[in-house]
Amino acid sequence: MSKVQVLLLGEIEHAHKEWATLSEIAEIIEPKARSREEFIKEAKEGTFDSAIVAFRTFNSVTITGLIDEELVNILPKSLKFIAHNGAGYDQIDLHACTERGIRVSNVPTAVDDATADVSMFLILGALRGFNTSMFALRKGHWKGSPPPPLGHDPQGKVIGILGMGGIGRNLKKKAEAFDMEVQYHNRTKLPEELSGGAKYVPLEELLKTSDVLSLNLPLNKQTRHIISTKEFEIMKPGVIIVNTARGAVVDEAALVVALDKGIVASAGLDVFEEEPKVHPGLVANPHVMLLPHMGTWTVETQTKMEVWCIDNVRMAVEQGKLKSPVGEQKGM
Amino acid sequence: MGSITDKAILKIGKLTYTEKNWEALGSLGDLKVFPGDKEVSDPKQLFQENLQSGAYDHVVALYRSNDSTSLTGPFDAELIRSLPSSLKYICHNGAGYDNIDITACTSRGIEVSSTPVAVNNATADMTIWLMIGALRSIHVPYAAVREGKWRGPHFMPGTDPEDKVLGMIGMGGIGQAVAHRARAFGMKIQYYNRSRLSPELEKDAKYVGLDELIGSSDVVSLHCSLTAETTGLIGKTELGQMKKGAVLINTARGKLIDEGALIEALKDGTLRAAGLDVFENEPELRSDLVDLPNVVLTPHIGTGTTDTQAKMELLVLDNIKSALESGKLITQVREQLSKPKL
Repeated sequence: MSKVQVLLLGEIEHAHKEWATLSEIAEIIEPKARSREEFIKEAKEGTFDSAIVAFRTFNSVTITGLIDEELVNILPKSLKFIAHNGAGYDQIDLHACTERGIRVSNVPTAVDDATADVSMFLILGALRGFNTSMFALRKGHWKGSPPPPLGHDPQGKVIGILGMGGIGRNLKKKAEAFDMEVQYHNRTKLPEELSGGAKYVPLEELLKTSDVLSLNLPLNKQTRHIISTKEFEIMKPGVIIVNTARGAVVDEAALVVALDKGIVASAGLDVFEEEPKVHPGLVANPHVMLLPHMGTWTVETQTKMEVWCIDNVRMAVEQGKLKSPVGEQKGM
Repeated sequence: MGSITDKAILKIGKLTYTEKNWEALGSLGDLKVFPGDKEVSDPKQLFQENLQSGAYDHVVALYRSNDSTSLTGPFDAELIRSLPSSLKYICHNGAGYDNIDITACTSRGIEVSSTPVAVNNATADMTIWLMIGALRSIHVPYAAVREGKWRGPHFMPGTDPEDKVLGMIGMGGIGQAVAHRARAFGMKIQYYNRSRLSPELEKDAKYVGLDELIGSSDVVSLHCSLTAETTGLIGKTELGQMKKGAVLINTARGKLIDEGALIEALKDGTLRAAGLDVFENEPELRSDLVDLPNVVLTPHIGTGTTDTQAKMELLVLDNIKSALESGKLITQVREQLSKPKL
C-alpha cells in the first residue's frame, strides 16, 4: 500500500527529529520550483497529486506567493489540509480554501511568550526613548549632544491591548509586572478566568484612554488599517503605539503623519505593511524602535512551533483531522 | 523668606523638577548655588577657590549628585578635608555613592544620605530591557533595519527567558524589583547577597553562594554597590566559570567587571551576549566593546525618566529638610548606621 504524500513548502530548521518521524507514515515531497510560475507549472503537471496535506512556512511565500484563490485552485484535488507554521495566517485565502474543502491549521500558544517578550521590549524601549541613546553611544557620543529627552516610566500607565488572544493575555501578565494597568478590546468580552481582571472596553474608549496601545490581533478584511487617521485623532496625545501583529493593521503612512505631528510620541514596531520595506518616515524618526519581524525568532520557540505544526500534519495523515484548525473553519 | 540665619545650604549642580522645593528650603537657611548660572571653564578650580575664600563657611548641608562629580571632582578624602567645618550633611542624589569617601565623612562627623528606593523601578526596567535585548541577540537586526538592510547578515535566533535561571548578585531594592519582573517572564531566580533575605522578600528565590551562582546561571545580573571588595568582581576567572553561552547584565557600576576580560569572553563565545548601562571609564568607551555585535549598550540612563528623576531630586531635598529640622536624615547610607538596614 503506497504512503500518502506530505507536501513541504519551505524549510524545516530545528525539529529535524520530529520531521523525520513523519517519513514513517508518509512520503515527503518538495517542489523543485523556485518561483510561483514554476510552482503552478509543477502542480499542473501532477507532481503533487498524491499530497493530502501541506506543511507551509511563512517564508515559503517567496516561492509560491500568497495562497490566494488562483493558487488554491491549482492545488491537487487530493490536498485537504494546509498546516501553516505560524500564528498569523493572513497569507492564506481562507474563503478560497473553505470553498475547495481544504482545512487550515495555524500555530497558536507556542508563539505567545516570545512575541509578548518582544512586545514588552518595544513598549519599554519606546516609553524610555532608548533609540537615540543607543545610536549616539554606538557613534562614540556618550549621551548624544544635545542629550535626548528623558523617557517615561511604565508604572501607572494604562496599556490598551487590542486583541486579547493568547499573545495579548501573555502580554498582560508581563505588563502588570511593570505595574501597568491593563485594559483590552476584543471581538468578544472574555470570561474572568481568561481576562484575569483586565478591564474590557469598547474600541473607542481603548483608543481614547490608553497611554500605550498594543496591537495583538490577526490581520483580515475587518482589521486591515483598523488603526488609521481617524483613530489617531482620538488617541491621548503622546500615546505610544506598539505592533507585533501584522503591519497592515496599522495604516503606516498615517502613523508617520501622527508621529510627525506629535500625536503619537513614539512607536515600537516589529512588523510593517510592506516588509521588508519600511516607511522612510519611520526610519527617519529617532524616537521609534524598529525590529525586522523577529517576534518568535528564538531557537526554543521556533522548535516548538515546528513541532506543533508537524503534529497537525501527523494528525491529518493518521486521523483525517487537524490539532489546531483556525477559528473561522471550526464548523467544517 | 525667613530672616538671616547663620546656616547655609549649598546646591552643587542643577535641579530639573524641584526648583520650587529648593526655594522653599530658604526658610531653613541661606541658599547658595554652585556653579550658578555662569559658564565656568574650570569648575573644579572654582570650587576649591570658593572653599578657600570662605564663601561656604556657614554651609550645614549640601546637595550633590553623581553628575555633579564632573563639577567638583569626586568627594574623596582630600576634598572632604577641605569642606567647611560647619558642614554636617551631604545629601547625595544617586543610589550609588562610590564617588564619596564615606569613611572620611564619618571621621569628620559628616552624615551622608543617598536615594535608594526611588531608583528601583526605573533601574529594574532598564535591566529587563537589556536582558531581553541580549537574549534575543537584538543588536545586529536592530541596526540593520535602520540601514535599510532588514535583518542584516547572520540573523541569529535568540533564546527565550522562559525557564532560564537568573542569578542576581546583590538582592537589595533594585534586585528585588528585577526578580519581580523576571518571574513574569518565567525565569527561575537565585541570588547572592551579603545576607539572606527574609522569606517575605525572598519569595521563591534561592539563596546561593557566589561561586554556585556564577557557575549555574543562564543570566547573571549585577545589583551590588561598588566598593574596594567588589571592584573587578567579574574577571577572567569568573567569566570562565560561567555557563557557556550565558548572558551578563550590568546596571550597577562599570568597575564591577574587568572590561577587557569581558570583551574576550564575548568574542570567543564564552558569553552569548552582554547588556550594559555602565562602563569602567565612562563617559569614555572602549571601541572594541562598542564594535561588538553581541552587546546591548546604553549610556548610564538607568534612571533616565522624568518621574524617577523628580522623585530622586525630591528625596534629596527632603533629606536636607529633615536634617535641618530634626537633625536626622531620612535615607542615611548604610555604612553609617549602627544597625544595618535589612
